[in-house]
Amino acid sequence: MKGKLEPLERQKLVKEGKNLKDGLITLEEDLLKLSDELQQEAQCIPNMTHPDVPIGEEDCSTMRKMVGSPHEFSFPVKDHLQLGKELDLFEFDAAAEVSGSKFYYLKNEAVMLEMALVNWTLSEVMKRGFTPLTTPELVRSSVVEKCGFQPRGENTQVYTVEGSDQCLIGTAEIPVGGIHMDSILAESMLPLKYVAFSHCFRTEAGAAGTATRGLYRVHQFSKVEMFILCQPEESESYHEELIKIEEDLFSSLGLHYKTIDMASGDLGAPAYRKFDVEAWMPGLGRYGEISSASNCTDYQSRRLGIRYRPSESSTNPKKGKGKLAPTKFVHTLNATACAIPRMIICLLENYQQKDGSVVIPVPLRPFIGGLERIAPKFPQDE
Amino acid sequence: MGLRCYFGGTAIQTLRMAVIPASSSSSRFIFGRPLSKTLTLNSLFLRRNNVNYLTRPPFTLLTKALAATAVQAAPPTETIDRGVVKPQWKAAIDFKWIRDNKDAVALNIKNRNSNANLELVLEIYEKMLAVQKEVERLRGERNAVANKMKGKLEPSERQKLIEEGKNLRDGLIMLEEDLLKLSDELQQEAQFIPNMTHPDVPIGEEDRSIVRKMVGCPREFSFPIKDHLQLGKELDLFDFDAAAEVSGSKFYYLKNEAVMLEIGLINWTLSEVMKRGFTPLITPELVRSSVVEKCGFQPRGDNTQVYSVEESDQCLIGTAEIPVGGIHMDSILVESMLPLKYVAFSHCFRTEAGAAGAATRGLYRVHQFSKVEMFILCQPEESESHHEELIKIEEELFSSLGLHYKTIDMASGDLGAPAYRKFDVEAWMPGLGRYGEISSASNCTDYQSRRLGIRYRPSEPTSTNPKMVKGKFTPTRFVHTLNATACAVPRMMICLLENYQQEDGSVIIPEPLRPFMGGLGLIAPKFSRAE
Repeated sequence: MKGKLEPLERQKLVKEGKNLKDGLITLEEDLLKLSDELQQEAQCIPNMTHPDVPIGEEDCSTMRKMVGSPHEFSFPVKDHLQLGKELDLFEFDAAAEVSGSKFYYLKNEAVMLEMALVNWTLSEVMKRGFTPLTTPELVRSSVVEKCGFQPRGENTQVYTVEGSDQCLIGTAEIPVGGIHMDSILAESMLPLKYVAFSHCFRTEAGAAGTATRGLYRVHQFSKVEMFILCQPEESESYHEELIKIEEDLFSSLGLHYKTIDMASGDLGAPAYRKFDVEAWMPGLGRYGEISSASNCTDYQSRRLGIRYRPSESSTNPKKGKGKLAPTKFVHTLNATACAIPRMIICLLENYQQKDGSVVIPVPLRPFIGGLERIAPKFPQDE
Repeated sequence: MGLRCYFGGTAIQTLRMAVIPASSSSSRFIFGRPLSKTLTLNSLFLRRNNVNYLTRPPFTLLTKALAATAVQAAPPTETIDRGVVKPQWKAAIDFKWIRDNKDAVALNIKNRNSNANLELVLEIYEKMLAVQKEVERLRGERNAVANKMKGKLEPSERQKLIEEGKNLRDGLIMLEEDLLKLSDELQQEAQFIPNMTHPDVPIGEEDRSIVRKMVGCPREFSFPIKDHLQLGKELDLFDFDAAAEVSGSKFYYLKNEAVMLEIGLINWTLSEVMKRGFTPLITPELVRSSVVEKCGFQPRGDNTQVYSVEESDQCLIGTAEIPVGGIHMDSILVESMLPLKYVAFSHCFRTEAGAAGAATRGLYRVHQFSKVEMFILCQPEESESHHEELIKIEEELFSSLGLHYKTIDMASGDLGAPAYRKFDVEAWMPGLGRYGEISSASNCTDYQSRRLGIRYRPSEPTSTNPKMVKGKFTPTRFVHTLNATACAVPRMMICLLENYQQEDGSVIIPEPLRPFMGGLGLIAPKFSRAE
């Protein structure tokens, strides 16, 4: 229409142009809608799975490692609830009145034990080059979703704040994952290794009927979490590093445990591969999960928008200087260094003595003012 | 130690600073309701003749009018028909005492700037007493009728008695309903009445508060000083920007030595207070909203400090005072158990709604923080001495850390409903260039215990009836409760960073904390000063 035209021709072209414009508007709307639908559906697609992961349900999980064996007791063993009652360590009844079931107060030496576990764990993981953090425990719900959780699904594990888009975190993995949201990191910064302490809040909806006794399943607990952001090629080796740190920690505390390579049906959407550690809990008479280490590859980073710029231009050596190297998504990994209530169950039940006292494992003693044992306060026959 | 992290640019907030109200004064937000001065007062319901109970007593209309005015900041209630709202729980308020001391109570309400309507409370109380009396009278008549019907009667007489009995019964039902409604209204209005005030408390607004004690003096610096935000940035201790993206403003991550400092502060404080005979606790941080109210806070008021959980009656705690106060809810303690002294560690969550424009920079005002709180339940005669004990512990802690601070006896207008007396400690924050509140110690006498239902049974017979032996029949009394901040971590961190900064940009760790930080004596800069 830029050229010289007859009025009739011009009119025809104007009309054609208008039709094209209207058509485009409709198509662009459709494109937007399709794009949204695509996102919505595609977000349900889980991460790919590591080739060595056993295929099937929970019973197909394989054991990678077993450390130690169940402690033989020469006297009748008590569970952590009974030990807690006799040693005046917990208060579940008052908490049920004040807050509801699955809440608790820790008292006396249990408070010291929680503080010692947190301190010792942070200290041990920091020694291995991790940056310590404490995190917000209220986060925007979009961040929760980007990490692969579902704040508003049925049976959601997530508490939401009224009149707000904020949720309580169920794990420090969420606020730590969010630190570098929508960022481009320099390759030289990687790997970034964090060890974060936070309180965690979980609704445990849909957990009725499963083991809910005492500290095993609670709505609020303290946890020390490890989180790594790294280059894709390195995530498998960092996964091994994380599980090794966990195993070193649990062995130092003298626990008997097994490390499990979780089967495909038990992975959860973000994980490419997941190792769980289950420790022997003599009072429960079975193994209970005390930690979980996941390699989420780029599942979370694609949602959180965490990229890095490689320093070498491996994709196009002719361009030189790496300034124009296209960014890549980092890989993220997370692993439980210490989940306090489960750890307290393990320590109380495994280290109980015939006289009703509980021995404190040696590594924790410097962090608990030198205390060597939690002694009964009432005579045993009460 | 650890790796440096890349963060975006800084966002400097240049908000005007103002004095920060004390922690428990969030309860002052219950005073948001409008005054009901336009209410016309009806005469008390008087029995005029036998026929009165057949008609609906006029005061139920008044009841409706009374209920309609109690709108905004009323305690959460279920609404039943006719506009009368039913409180979910009842405070064991001593109405008779209020009536017998109404002048003192009225003066106190005025001194506290409270919106409580004492006239209304007394009016409802009198009505309620009158209705109660009427109910008893009718019950008496009904029993008399029932007794008469036991004897031999003419059929017509019997019929008359039956009808009389029925009328009495119907009248009673109505009156008992009215009694219930009056009782609920009375609760609703009376719950606004603030605690009485210690005679030594200065009357007036904040500017009337009195300095009880001043320890130390502002440190002299031989170099330009930095505030905690700048120190935090240079020493890589905080991240506010990432937290603003992830959570919103007034959230933060602590990093590196700041994490160790928080943990060191908590452990040291717990240890010091435990040495003084306090039982350590870690508490739930989600509690039922009724417990929040019973402690004197208003979860659903305008500008509430309280976060509520969606589709639940639960709230996040703003202080461990709440879950600790709740431990002995609805209990009768044995006198020998008292005093009960707890030191509780928890995270605290506050909306800080209504704090816009007040000092919000950095760690000074945040939505989430760690706090170690002391809580005492004791016999009434002992609460004043325990209040002195608590403020002394606080002063010893702050002195050990080498802080310069002043202890203030808060004026009546600044107390907050539950407190009989409140001491605040304000510490010198050189980076801010002023004093900032780091703790608050309140004696709540029986305000909270009457709401939480915490009683004790004295072991000696009371002096009013020495004939009752063994204490088994000794009437119970309400305990007194007190609470005091042992350590509010962010404010403490501001104090330590700003006061202990060195010319080379490092920060010295006070001696008492070092054993709790793995021996760390100094937070050293990680970048060269020129950056």
